[in-house]
Amino acid sequence: MKGYRKYFGKKIIWFLITFVIAVILNFFLPRLMPADPVAAITGKMASGMTDASAVQEIYKRYEEEFGTNKPMWQQFLLFCKNAIRGDFGTSFSQYPRKVSDIIGSAIGWTIALQLPAIIVGWLLGNILGALAAYLRKGWDKVLMPVSLFMSNVPAFGMAVILLVVFGVNLKWFPIAGGYNFDMIPNLSWNFIKSVISHYQLPFWSIVLVSIGGQAVGMRSMSIYELNADYVKYARFLGIKDSKIVGYVFRNAMLPQITGLALSIGTMIGGALVAEIIFSYPGLGSTMYSAVTAADYPLISATTLIITVMVLLVTFLLDIVYGFIDPRVKAAQFD
Amino acid sequence: MKKILALLLAAMMVVGIFAGCSGSDKPAETKAAAAPAETEAPAVTEAPAAPAESGAVELPRNETLYFAGQQWGTVNSWSPIGTNQNNSMAIAGNSGGYRTLMFETLYMYNFMDGSLVPLLADGDYAWSDDMTQLTLTIKDAAKWSDGTPVTAADVVRTFDIGVQVGNNTGTGFGAYISSIEADGQKVTINAALNDEGAPVNPLKVLDFLTGTPIAQAAWIDTVVDRCGGDTVAILNDAGDDVVWSGPYTKYYSDDQKVVLIRDDNYWGQDASMWGSLPVPKYIAHTIYADNAAGETALKAGEVDVCQQFIGNIQNLWEKDGLPISTYYEEAPYGVCLTMPTAWYNMNIPVLAENPALRKAIAMAVDYDSIIANAMTNQSPSFSDVPRSLMNPTDGEQALYDHAAVADLQWAGNDIEGAKAMLDAAGIVDSDGDGWRDWNGEKISLNAVCPNGWSDWQAAMEIVAAAGEKIGVEITTLYPEWSIYQTVFTSPSQTEYAIFMWSPDAASPSNPWQRVNQMMGKVYVGAENNWSGNWGQYVNDEADALINQIPLTTDSAELKDLYTKLTEIYLTEVPSFSLMYRPSLFHAVNESVWTNFPSGDDGRNIPPADCTDGYGIAALYELELVG
Amino acid sequence: MKNTLRQLFHSGKFVAGFVIFVAILLTVFIYPLVNPGDPLEMIGVGTFARPGTYVSLYDAVRTDTQTLRLSEADDNRIAKALSAEDRVAMVEWFTTMGIDVSDLDIDDTDALLDLWNANYDPSIKPQGMTMAKRNYYKRLNNSLQEIRAADEIILAEPDEESGALVKSDTISKTDYVNVSQVANVKNLPLGTDNFGRDVLKELVSAAGTSIVIGLIAGTVATLIGLSLGLLSGYLGGFADDFIMFVTNVFTVIPSFVLLILISYSIGQEQRGAAVVAVVIGLTSWTWTCRSVRSQVISLRNRDHVNLSKLSGHSMIRIVLTDILPYIASYVVMAFILQVSTGILSEAQLSLLGLGPKTTETATLGLMMNWAMLYSAHTNGSWWAYFPVILTITLISFSLNLMNTGMDQVFNPTLRD
Repeated sequence: MKGYRKYFGKKIIWFLITFVIAVILNFFLPRLMPADPVAAITGKMASGMTDASAVQEIYKRYEEEFGTNKPMWQQFLLFCKNAIRGDFGTSFSQYPRKVSDIIGSAIGWTIALQLPAIIVGWLLGNILGALAAYLRKGWDKVLMPVSLFMSNVPAFGMAVILLVVFGVNLKWFPIAGGYNFDMIPNLSWNFIKSVISHYQLPFWSIVLVSIGGQAVGMRSMSIYELNADYVKYARFLGIKDSKIVGYVFRNAMLPQITGLALSIGTMIGGALVAEIIFSYPGLGSTMYSAVTAADYPLISATTLIITVMVLLVTFLLDIVYGFIDPRVKAAQFD
Repeated sequence: MKKILALLLAAMMVVGIFAGCSGSDKPAETKAAAAPAETEAPAVTEAPAAPAESGAVELPRNETLYFAGQQWGTVNSWSPIGTNQNNSMAIAGNSGGYRTLMFETLYMYNFMDGSLVPLLADGDYAWSDDMTQLTLTIKDAAKWSDGTPVTAADVVRTFDIGVQVGNNTGTGFGAYISSIEADGQKVTINAALNDEGAPVNPLKVLDFLTGTPIAQAAWIDTVVDRCGGDTVAILNDAGDDVVWSGPYTKYYSDDQKVVLIRDDNYWGQDASMWGSLPVPKYIAHTIYADNAAGETALKAGEVDVCQQFIGNIQNLWEKDGLPISTYYEEAPYGVCLTMPTAWYNMNIPVLAENPALRKAIAMAVDYDSIIANAMTNQSPSFSDVPRSLMNPTDGEQALYDHAAVADLQWAGNDIEGAKAMLDAAGIVDSDGDGWRDWNGEKISLNAVCPNGWSDWQAAMEIVAAAGEKIGVEITTLYPEWSIYQTVFTSPSQTEYAIFMWSPDAASPSNPWQRVNQMMGKVYVGAENNWSGNWGQYVNDEADALINQIPLTTDSAELKDLYTKLTEIYLTEVPSFSLMYRPSLFHAVNESVWTNFPSGDDGRNIPPADCTDGYGIAALYELELVG
Repeated sequence: MKNTLRQLFHSGKFVAGFVIFVAILLTVFIYPLVNPGDPLEMIGVGTFARPGTYVSLYDAVRTDTQTLRLSEADDNRIAKALSAEDRVAMVEWFTTMGIDVSDLDIDDTDALLDLWNANYDPSIKPQGMTMAKRNYYKRLNNSLQEIRAADEIILAEPDEESGALVKSDTISKTDYVNVSQVANVKNLPLGTDNFGRDVLKELVSAAGTSIVIGLIAGTVATLIGLSLGLLSGYLGGFADDFIMFVTNVFTVIPSFVLLILISYSIGQEQRGAAVVAVVIGLTSWTWTCRSVRSQVISLRNRDHVNLSKLSGHSMIRIVLTDILPYIASYVVMAFILQVSTGILSEAQLSLLGLGPKTTETATLGLMMNWAMLYSAHTNGSWWAYFPVILTITLISFSLNLMNTGMDQVFNPTLRD
């Protein structure tokens, strides 16, 4: 038990350090960009003004309001103080909206799109991979190259192809937005139907690409386990085939679960392409527009969310593996 | 397959509930708004204006006019006296005239003939003889949404609060209008005077008439009270309780759309104004992620009026057979009001000291390619409309003597002429590396525009190609917009040698305003310069001529001034226009609505998206198809 | 080594991947020899010319003609100018005008045209007809007039002295030219892009650039990942903790934020393809590092390593001779995956407008970016984006196929 405590203690300390460094980097890196978002705000409202000194006056006013005229470290302390209370400040690009407000309205869409897509893609991919490993022969000969090919179609390529084929040409599904253009969000069957149909293309563009990768991974893990010594030994002992297969797939699943956890951790960044190509509301497109507009507060907040999610997931995985995987345990303690 | 679908649905529902829960951690007022639609919390928490209980949740297609290309983000305010509004459907001043759906101006500008059509004002305005005073009266019928009449006092208060807090009205017109006085329905605008006692700029006073939305004095007082007089708070007020005078008002808004609903008590149905209500009951604008999404929606018939540049737009009807049309059925399809221009940076010595180099590059550029590529021919060519300081409208073209400057104009792609000009100026390749030198150093310039502005980028590529042909190294550079706008508005920058920006399009003060932007000294050295003369070009002779124009009323004299300025511009080449371009694109899909304005219908309604300036007249004449 | 190679080339998957990859490489090298010239030259004015063979009309007119009397020629001409839908639309017009069409044969072109010419007037605006429809009738009318045009097109040239046009030649409906005799015929198998560039030529050049980007990115990522992984795994203790900490920081900060910042700090002008490749490599080494580390951890307590340690060999020597060879095959496979990741990353970054800022070289990502900026995907210009997606997929697929093949050779337990 003492070994465990030491192991976890060390882990926690390193994770805390990582977290602090990541927060600092998340704050300072975007602000190193040689852009001036205050000028952008000024520009938005000053176009058409003839009086140049009036424009400067506006500029000064916003500089004051955002505190960009203060030294960087003061801005950072202020950021930390407010962030603890969930206040990430005001967005530059969508001024005067609050960053927390923007994220609040976007994050639901991203989770609703990504979480099911990751899980469905993972499940289907693993089932196909396991089948391929178990059945072999013809099934595997076709499925394996097809899966590999699919997993190598770039995410944006799959999205564009789905959009062109099913949206533009066949017109089966709408290609942009989260719900129908002639609706206002409400709790009616029509509205839900519309949300679901808008959901299809971005959803499948994520699922189709991930199925391939998962299937390839699961297939080789399963083959690896099927060829392992313990399987031969079990067969030798005359244990029922179905029982052996059960063990094999449970062992093969272990790394796959790690993969699932990691992709859930990184899902916000992963949604970027699908959200942008299908004009789907969500954090990915929010983050993208924040980056192009040098909207520091919004960039810092979105990257902070990603950082926290990834850290949490890796931390949990480390803990869980520390308990269940004897190999990791051995490696850590020697 | 069914199982998967069921799984998927279940997962969605779970997530929906999860999102709903996370939404309810927020303060009480957003929670209240979210209550009627728990599963769609992410969308609804955003709604500042949830439709009334009885309101429609699906907008009937045949009562709604859909727009694209105006609103690019969640609406942030409904206050006409604030700043930083991104509310393009309700609060937007354009060079085609103010968008008068919700807030109204005194006059509506019609860029087809430069006329000012009375809106809140009754009949024509009158100048005093020395142009120091402008008088007009407010229509008796004009009413606010709360039923009170619009009075001259409202105009005064709108101007005064503008000057006080420094909003667009104050900063835009404070230097040209000294005060506004009210006497019942009569408005007297006193022009600001210069040292000689002459008005500073009567043209800008006219801009005030068409460009300033009038707000209600009583509501302004409410806002000032609510904000305790704090300037920044007033400017940032969300204006949810705003009082309006226009035919539409807010109905619904979230991060995917904004909807306006017709105010059936609108005063304009009075015979002294329109005599009827506008036809569509709802005005809706879906917030598209990019041009491609808006274009696709237009093709699908989900958009009726599209303010977006669409390449090869004729394919939509010629090849795809869609019921889409533009103002004119032939190229350039619309009315070009401005000309995106490449500015030479005078902070760079080789450019500042060599007019020959400036002109040679401009002569070598293949404008026909730019117009074919970047504008897909939605612009007249420079052989059709020779270059000057004027936009291609007949009104502006008549303002200068074409014959007098014909020798100075160029249509482009004149490689030999450009080379000869450089050779004559002694700018030659002295070290045999294939590039021309100046003062013993290779001339190396960059051509810059923001990343992702595809038509401009295509134009810059073609400028760079022209440089290569005449032995002047020009490389292209596409910084992100956030960086571009920081650099090009800085008066001392030397990072961008040739860079793009558009001068003003159309308003009562144009083309003067545009000429001032091209060569006016007033902008030189200004920090955060969004106003004009981005290349920092100084020419005292031109500046003196520019300053004479606003006070000149004699048309022959005016023509003489503009011709002289054009001569200077074409000789000195402080910048060169790359194409002509509409300030508003106007494409309509007639799947649902028809009788949109067109160039040959004799109605004289400008192609201003049925909303801007006098363009709003189109809304009263729309008809349903079939 | 020889044996391994022989084994490799017995693996169907490896061979398939290898063949595809070599085919792409050969195309990249050979095609420019067959079709030389600047791949970014803007040959077309205007956007998105369709794939096909373009014949110079100017030269065709001046080429010797051959008279061919083809019975279907007239029908083809009429079909091109007047489709079945057009005929129906004409009848609709007649109905709107209140003309009795009960005994009109819709397929009788002459009768249809006569009735049309008698009844169509472009200035009429029938009640309720949309502007789009009226414009359609105007265009239809123009193309109908061409059907009725004379049998010959007259070529005329201005007289040098008077400037008046003098007839120089006529072209009749039965004149044909042999394409091989026309001076200028341009074959554009994939049409042109938004700038009027030859897409095929650009694609081949871009594939080459992208492979180079992939190789650079893969090399950088593998070198960093390998050295840090070796150090971390072999040394353990604080060095391990610290390297893992750096790795974690790189993992938790979204890599595209790093990419943007690095590319900003190196300046816009320098953001060429090679620099972007290095930057991609600098942000994608983390998983190589992790995997190498775990491999090394499982190796470092093996007997032969301990023996080496006891013999007092230096750390570098132990790592190079006792550890590296055991994970060499693994590193090669990781490198191949990094190459394909690099190619994908460039494409993805460019698509978002964050890729190389260069106009001198084509990359697959930039081609995709421009096609999307000009809405090629929604206006039906498939040739501007689909071949790009296919090329990226094929390169990446071939690399992964090779990788899988190698995996099976090096890991006997994975063999079928």
